[in-house]
Amino acid sequence: MNGLGSLALYLVVVVAIVGFIMVLTHLLGERHSQRGTAVPYESGIFPTGSARIRFPSDFYLVAMFFVVFDVAAVYLFAWAVAARELGWAGYAAILVFSLETIAGLAYLWKMGAFDWGARRKREHLERHGY
Amino acid sequence: MSASGYLGLLPLAILAGSAILVLFGLAFARQRYETAFALSMAGLVAALASLFFAWTGAPQRFTALLVLDHFAYLSMALSIGATIVVEFMSFAYFRARREENGEFYFLLQLACLGCAVLASSSSFASFFLGLELLSTPLFTLIGYRREREAGLRSAFMYLILAGVSSAFLLFGMALVYLETGSLDITTAARAASGSASFTVLAGLALMTVGIGFKLAVAPFHVWTPDIYDAAPAPATAFIATASKGAMAILLVRFFAPAGIAGAGPFAWIFAAIAGISMFTGNILALREGNLKRLLAYSSIAHLGYILVAFVASGNQGSAAVSFYLVAYFVSNLAAFAAVAGLSTNEAEADSIEHYRGLAKGHPWAAAALTASLLSLAGLPLTAGFMGKFVIFEAGAGAFLWVLVVILAVNSTISIFYYLRVVSALYRPASEAGTGSMSPRPAMPALAAIALAAMAIAIIVIGAMPGSLMAFIREVARDIASNAAAAL
Repeated sequence: MNGLGSLALYLVVVVAIVGFIMVLTHLLGERHSQRGTAVPYESGIFPTGSARIRFPSDFYLVAMFFVVFDVAAVYLFAWAVAARELGWAGYAAILVFSLETIAGLAYLWKMGAFDWGARRKREHLERHGY
Repeated sequence: MSASGYLGLLPLAILAGSAILVLFGLAFARQRYETAFALSMAGLVAALASLFFAWTGAPQRFTALLVLDHFAYLSMALSIGATIVVEFMSFAYFRARREENGEFYFLLQLACLGCAVLASSSSFASFFLGLELLSTPLFTLIGYRREREAGLRSAFMYLILAGVSSAFLLFGMALVYLETGSLDITTAARAASGSASFTVLAGLALMTVGIGFKLAVAPFHVWTPDIYDAAPAPATAFIATASKGAMAILLVRFFAPAGIAGAGPFAWIFAAIAGISMFTGNILALREGNLKRLLAYSSIAHLGYILVAFVASGNQGSAAVSFYLVAYFVSNLAAFAAVAGLSTNEAEADSIEHYRGLAKGHPWAAAALTASLLSLAGLPLTAGFMGKFVIFEAGAGAFLWVLVVILAVNSTISIFYYLRVVSALYRPASEAGTGSMSPRPAMPALAAIALAAMAIAIIVIGAMPGSLMAFIREVARDIASNAAAAL
């Protein structure tokens, strides 16, 4: 039996066992219907209120910026391990890349993207009008 | 690398550098909307001007990533020109909420840079980088008016679909790399011609899916009408022209050298895509009541026409693709300039009903929109007619009789729905007040200039195509000889 054949056999056995267990559970398992049976996350406590509440998403923005600049750091490391081999052309390339990243950082800073919390936002709004 | 080598890179460098300037302008200037517009426009014009200096140094290769030949410069000129026109029609469109709309120009310029990189890429790495540089700003541009729910929904739709199509493309590239061990486009194309292995064929088929999505040809076209409809009109204009044009140019650059467009399984695949696209686009457009959706369906059909020339391949095919792109660009830009110019902050001018009686209040706008629609339909004395003519010529030259007949049939079908819009322009406005806006606002100056320029270009190219055609044939010969040298 070749590799694919045994894989196929394995698949058949897996499906058969799982199917067997499910059928058996259905036939032998006890049935009960109580107050909490149909509730999701049946663990003794009834859910209260809605999960759809509004919460500040500032952290999301900061997390996003972190990822962006973190990825930029990855490129720096990639350049650094081969800095000597890449020579001045590589240096120029990484310099341009760094300057562009810094330009992005300056833009974000000036736009108040790093200001945390509602108070800072309000101050920014009063100062700049947007 | 010599000094002339860096001179050849100048257009790309100016586009990238001025994008950073726009970013600084947005951060520090007081009149941020106007500053962003002015800086971006200056950068685009400077990049366009630098093409003249770069032209003499071509063709050359810049590292393993870029090939800077006349063909690349021609398509850069097209993308940059289209972006300039799009910015003209955006200025008044986005002015109402100018405090937060300045970033539009920054994103547009990045997308334009992506088009330029895509059109001049000679390696899968730069191909993919250019594509992502083009796609990523588009997600934001599509959902730019975030107070509109449909726009946001479409932006997410485009994000997911573009991600999926990029995945197809990458998988395809990986398979081709597996077989050839090279990321170079000409090497890949050479491996695909002749007796290609199954791995390479599978890779190219997967890449075709990614490319087909970007070109919005059937059966990868499903996203087109929704996104055209929901995106702001200037962003739609950019997607319809620059984004698709750069991809079409890349397709020619990729497949033309090895001649696999003209023979082998891919000739059949692309011929089938062309035929299905023409019928799908034109038949879906027949009963469409929304002008932006109608233009979306028509663009599916137009890309089908372009693929006919692409399948014809050879010098004539490449020249026909380029010439048709020029005609398609000016016609579509004129149509979208009219839509953008007549839209207000409250309402998008998208239903055909909205255009009833336009000839009475805005005779010149109506005339220009008529020229654009007739050009899209391919009636004589317009750029679209000459474009169809060269495609017929290329198709007949390559004995693609079935495709040529389908093209002729579809041109006839398409005349019907374009004329439906034209007739609406000259009918009296319905007494119900057309619902959304009466009286109609005056056309903003910059959008009117863009519309007039494109309308004049349609007529000039249609009436005197000789010099442009000769120029494009010259450039297309250039790509063939480059490819021969590379092989």
